[in-house]
Amino acid sequence: MKDSISKPIPRVDAPAKISGEAKYIGDIRFKNQLFAKTVRSSRAKAGIVSIVKPELPEGYFIVDKDDIPGINRMRTVVSDQPIFAEEEVNYIGQPILLVVGPEREMIYDIISKIKIKYRDETPIFNLDEAEEKGAVFTEYSYSKGKPEAAFQDGLKIIEDEYHTGLQEHVYLEPQGMAAEYRDNTMFIYGSMQCPFYAEGALKDVLGWGSDRIRVIQSITGGAFGGKEEFPSLTACQVAVASLKTGHPVMMIYDRDEDIICTTKRHPSIVCYKAGLDRKNQVIALAIDIKFDAGAYSGISPVVLQRGMFSATGVYNFPHLSVRGRNFMTNNVPSGAYRGFGAPQTIFSMEMLMHNLAIKLGIDPLDYKIRHLLERGEPTCTGGKIWDEVKLPEIIEKVTAMSDYRRKIQSNGKYKGVGVALFLHGCGFTGNGEQLIKGKIILKKNGGTVILKVSSVEMGQGAETCLRKIVAHTLLLPMEKVTCETIDTGLIPDSGPTVASRTTMIVGGLLRQASLELKDRWNESDNIEVSRVYRHPDYLRWDNDTFHGDAYPTYSWGANVAEVEIDPITCEIDVKKVSAVYDVGTPIDETTLTGQMQGGIVQGIGWATVEVMNPSKGKLKQHNLTDYKIPTSMDIPEIACEFIENPYEFGPFGAKCAGELPFVGAAPAIAAAVSNALSVPIKNIPITPEYLMELDKHED
Amino acid sequence: MVEGFRPADLREALEFRSQHPSIPIAGGTDLMVQKARGFALKPDFDKPLLFIGHLPDLQQIIVENRQVHIGAGVLLSDLIKSDKIPAVFKEAISLMASPPSRNIATIGGNICNASPAGDTLPYLYAVDAILVLKSSQAERKIPVGVFITNPGKTDLASDEILTEIIIPDKKFGVSYYRKVGTRKGMSLSKASFTGLADIENSNVTDIRIAFGSVAPTIVRSRKIEASIIRKPVSEIKTAVPEIVKKYAPLIRPIDDARSSAAYRKKVSLRLLEDFLRNLAS
Repeated sequence: MKDSISKPIPRVDAPAKISGEAKYIGDIRFKNQLFAKTVRSSRAKAGIVSIVKPELPEGYFIVDKDDIPGINRMRTVVSDQPIFAEEEVNYIGQPILLVVGPEREMIYDIISKIKIKYRDETPIFNLDEAEEKGAVFTEYSYSKGKPEAAFQDGLKIIEDEYHTGLQEHVYLEPQGMAAEYRDNTMFIYGSMQCPFYAEGALKDVLGWGSDRIRVIQSITGGAFGGKEEFPSLTACQVAVASLKTGHPVMMIYDRDEDIICTTKRHPSIVCYKAGLDRKNQVIALAIDIKFDAGAYSGISPVVLQRGMFSATGVYNFPHLSVRGRNFMTNNVPSGAYRGFGAPQTIFSMEMLMHNLAIKLGIDPLDYKIRHLLERGEPTCTGGKIWDEVKLPEIIEKVTAMSDYRRKIQSNGKYKGVGVALFLHGCGFTGNGEQLIKGKIILKKNGGTVILKVSSVEMGQGAETCLRKIVAHTLLLPMEKVTCETIDTGLIPDSGPTVASRTTMIVGGLLRQASLELKDRWNESDNIEVSRVYRHPDYLRWDNDTFHGDAYPTYSWGANVAEVEIDPITCEIDVKKVSAVYDVGTPIDETTLTGQMQGGIVQGIGWATVEVMNPSKGKLKQHNLTDYKIPTSMDIPEIACEFIENPYEFGPFGAKCAGELPFVGAAPAIAAAVSNALSVPIKNIPITPEYLMELDKHED
Repeated sequence: MVEGFRPADLREALEFRSQHPSIPIAGGTDLMVQKARGFALKPDFDKPLLFIGHLPDLQQIIVENRQVHIGAGVLLSDLIKSDKIPAVFKEAISLMASPPSRNIATIGGNICNASPAGDTLPYLYAVDAILVLKSSQAERKIPVGVFITNPGKTDLASDEILTEIIIPDKKFGVSYYRKVGTRKGMSLSKASFTGLADIENSNVTDIRIAFGSVAPTIVRSRKIEASIIRKPVSEIKTAVPEIVKKYAPLIRPIDDARSSAAYRKKVSLRLLEDFLRNLAS
């Protein structure tokens, strides 16, 4: 047990997943179970004039808004989306009703006979239209220093604009949820990240207390935020269906259906006005962030907040104003997706710095280094960088690993190298952690210990890491430390499995509780220790003015990407990504390296091949034939290293890690493409089609 | 109604085909996707299926009179492994779909699917491959370019089965293949280019040029090819712009979920140009 916590151990969830024994929601069957299939809006914006339903065969049901005993709204940050549509629909794919019954063939037959009459209205399809019409869900702003005065002060002004696209999660398994109403209690089973989010939504929709609701997570594959808030909707739908029919009800989406109607990464436009002094230093910056939230506001306000609080990346600009707006369109609602708004604003920030440097004839990395945040300096929201910033060390390491300095000098046409520097705020945004007050319980039972947490395993290694933190502290073998089933009836609410908060926040509580349990180990065979989250005293946050420490601390990273562009086809070949991260102390180097590689690959996809264009509210790429993510053949060599920088309040010094790697890949690749072709890159995805238009080669 | 029939041999298959309207199916990697209706539902076939993927008669690769006879049921993965298949054709096949799909998909299926993006087709067009179509009564042989009439449409009669693909005896000293997909694996072609040529004593003695995914069917022009044949390679370089100009009107791609018409056209002509310039050097 003298081993470092970072030394890799086998993943506890691996054997069942590798052998195929793991039961995902689609593998589960209930006795007398019925299937449900959703009838959806075919219109982007319309009033529902009438719904003509066929006569139903015995044993078949239609479940809609009239069957909801409680409130017909899905509880989330803004509870504006109906569980089932009422008088209107606002996006193509919006759920109107369920057809429920024993045979799928008959369900499809019934659906083909349902006739919905719409009264079409004028929809809004993109950010430009939404801005013109003033269709704003949320608007926030904050500032630092004296931006207005600074801009008046003879600075050189440069304005620029950046765009990022929709991104589909392509989580391992499509959305799937089952409800079983028995013993006066609603049991919900499904693929999800946040069982207590679903519980909250069910309380509203059923009008019941949590004593009559049990939400049980089935094995969930890599979800990336796609199973954060969306499963609350399907959980409520199947619950209402089970209540009405008296049978267990199972609803599993086909992949095409899933892509059409589930949340995606917010498309963004970020506009900058940069004021440069005589040394070409950016001393004033105005940032205008626009997100397409889609048809309902939902969780988008917090996505926008993280985007805004991350908008200056790793830099310190003395005078700053940031405005952020979520726009309402009639596209499918946007939602949580790894990075939660920050990847959009950091991509744009990194490319702004890159493009400014090129314009000024300065090496992009040198230009970035001139603006770096340092310990003790104010964050963009006027908080403080409390902890040590090891960016200089990170940069030195990543440039050495990639030979960046030589390559940026010597690379010829069609071969490029690019660097991105980035951070990620650890845990919930703003006062989120104080509001949710995550709770955990450790229970000693003879020689074994049970962890009771609501943080879920979803392929990211949470179970291994949390058990390892406890086992390592108590000097117990891993098999003596187990996790309680993720069942809201058996576990406390430690908060959702989101925001890269599991290891640092929940793992931190487990570490504290383990230390107490260690001291009290000999007291008895049955000891229960619990912990509730307490924000470190020195942190300050004002949620009305957005002033103070938006995050307890930050993780940091740098990526160097190397690309080759095919001179004939303009295809991008990502050859190598070198990556160095400061995530405090790595809890398990192998699991963490897997997270980093996965995040980089997902970032490569977002930056290059993942094209998703809605045309009049309808997605043109709505299956995995047309919506492409990188395959194993597309994955470059990835060199990944960690710099240790222990954080006082993290378990063994660990900070956040899950979202960080996604953030850096896209800007590094875009910078490399820019370097290869000597063109500024301002939009992703960077497709060959786009590059062909930029490339003047022999045409 | 018969929903499916699994014949013991080709004779039985042809017999069934002569008596029932039917859909021949081998690997099903196109048909099962096209006709899928939803999870755990039967696919939407309007005629009974005739399973032919297992028939040994259709799984041979034989060289006869220096012509390669490929059974229509030969798997894509078996073509890649065979020493009788030209390297440039193997290259095209090895970039199709994924290893699991190539282990079940057949060459005959890719031809009969008649997609402009079918990646076996440009090569087969270029070499003037002959297709053998059998019915219980007769057998006919027609060139692949005549067999495929439109996207998804072929000249296959309701009682016929494509049994064999014949690659004529012709060796090409120069071969060039490029597929442009969205990613390196499991990608449908946005555009593809196949160029074959023979050069003797510094003269082009034969040239074949075929474009995939940029028109309703594979694009090949014997007329333009004829205008290049017998040219000394030294003259090709100066003739490149003129040749490209001749092909330009034949390249008529569309905008779709995978790419744009403008990109497809430009990339196709650039690949042609690259092929011709390489010939000359």
